[in-house]
Amino acid sequence: MTFLNFFISGISLGSIYAIIALGYTMVYGIAKMLNFAHGDVIMVGAYVCFYATSRYGLNPFLGIVIAMIICTLLGIIVERLAYKPLRQAPSLAVLITAIGMSYFLQNTALLLWSSNPKVFPSIIGRGAFKLFDGELSISHITALTIGACLVIMAVLTLFISKTKMGKAMRACSEDKGAAQLMGINVNATISMTFAIGSGLAAVAGALLCSAYPTLMPTTGSLPGIKAFTAAVFGGIGSIPGAFLGGLMLGVIEIFAKAYISSQLSDAVVFGVLIVVLLVKPAGLLGKMTQEKV
Amino acid sequence: MSEPVLKVENINVYYGSIHAIKGISFEVYEGEIVTLIGANGAGKSTTLNTVSGLLHPATGSVSFLGESLAKIPPDKIVERGLAQVPEGRRVFAQMTVQENLEMGAYTQGDDIEGDLEKVYGLFPRLKERMRQTAGTLSGGEQQMLAMGRALMSRPKLLMLDEPSMGLAPILVEQIFDIIADLHRTGATILLVEQNAQMALSIASRGYVMETGRIVTTGTGQELLASEEVRRAYLGG
Repeated sequence: MTFLNFFISGISLGSIYAIIALGYTMVYGIAKMLNFAHGDVIMVGAYVCFYATSRYGLNPFLGIVIAMIICTLLGIIVERLAYKPLRQAPSLAVLITAIGMSYFLQNTALLLWSSNPKVFPSIIGRGAFKLFDGELSISHITALTIGACLVIMAVLTLFISKTKMGKAMRACSEDKGAAQLMGINVNATISMTFAIGSGLAAVAGALLCSAYPTLMPTTGSLPGIKAFTAAVFGGIGSIPGAFLGGLMLGVIEIFAKAYISSQLSDAVVFGVLIVVLLVKPAGLLGKMTQEKV
Repeated sequence: MSEPVLKVENINVYYGSIHAIKGISFEVYEGEIVTLIGANGAGKSTTLNTVSGLLHPATGSVSFLGESLAKIPPDKIVERGLAQVPEGRRVFAQMTVQENLEMGAYTQGDDIEGDLEKVYGLFPRLKERMRQTAGTLSGGEQQMLAMGRALMSRPKLLMLDEPSMGLAPILVEQIFDIIADLHRTGATILLVEQNAQMALSIASRGYVMETGRIVTTGTGQELLASEEVRRAYLGG
């Protein structure tokens, strides 16, 4: 039964990674860039949610909605100001800008909200479902996190495969020039991608801080890196890949903590990543790009 | 004659310091097939990409249906009725045939059933493969898809960039038959080709390009018969 408990915690942590990884993978798929400031958007989302609920006493779910709106706007603004002017620039310049943007957001948070850790109130309390005479305990936040991840995956998959905007995103990710010749506004599509990724980051922030309640300006960086790893693990650019990669990473991390050593858990996680990339360089579900001539 | 559909006046286009298009002018009138022929690197594709708004002329002007395209972004140019079938087809390989066609109709409203029927009527092969991803199609089928996709935007001018490229001779004939058919049903077409023989045989008029300049112009028949063109492009 402890095994199952660990497994469920792993799936729950992995769900958070998966939601964050979606932001990395969608932006990479369409803008072909690694947005390393994505992890810090999570932190901003968590702070907004924290202030909305603790300071202004709003309902936590309303707090999440406000955090989503603010992060969506933040994502669009960051893209417009920092990345859009670099559309034709070498990818290294864009990467460095993204890292700079990450520090900028962290330090702005430091100025606004100080480095004192805040204790984040869980959005649905600390209760738990007890199953099998209390042998198996699933906290409400765990259940909510897994549920939220499944809903987000389902909605996003439908959006990408069925709506006109979603199809335009796939077209842009394959060939921006050809997409332009179809009359698709590529810049607007990229903006939309950042908006969706950042809105989801706000949800991830609230869920993450509900499970691990310490909120600081650096809260987003490690989960951000882990989620990026998850995206690469699953095959960057692939939405099911982000989902699978996130879940696997969460489960491996929790098992490594439980059965090997909590200090070594990150080493185990990244070790598995290295092995996967040696065997499948494009990630688990990634496609090697080939051109037909 | 009436107002041309497309009027290109004295455009100069640069790639960085490379002067790719050196002051060319040409027109396309309604109902014509006009062809730009020339060797690799003559600037044919650059010309089309400039008309589509993907590249910007340093000087000179492009106007479509009497309106200057200078300040209009590529997606709005498509909306105005100017569609390009790009060189190398560039279908969306991971999307289905049907989805590719839907992307072609991106600037249209949601009512595209009639257009789909028309394109499937023109290319029955695509209808058989509508649920397949475009990457699984053969080269000829991909070319049909690229053309069908462009037609979905109900273009007033259809620009084709090297539709014969990389296709077996029998398929080249088939593609040119379809272009001639489209022309007969009233389509206005700007056709860029290296295969001068095929292009000139169906063209109303042609322009011969050489290293960024237009060196000769005439009707398709005149150019086919011209000694200069024969020597340079037709291996005669």
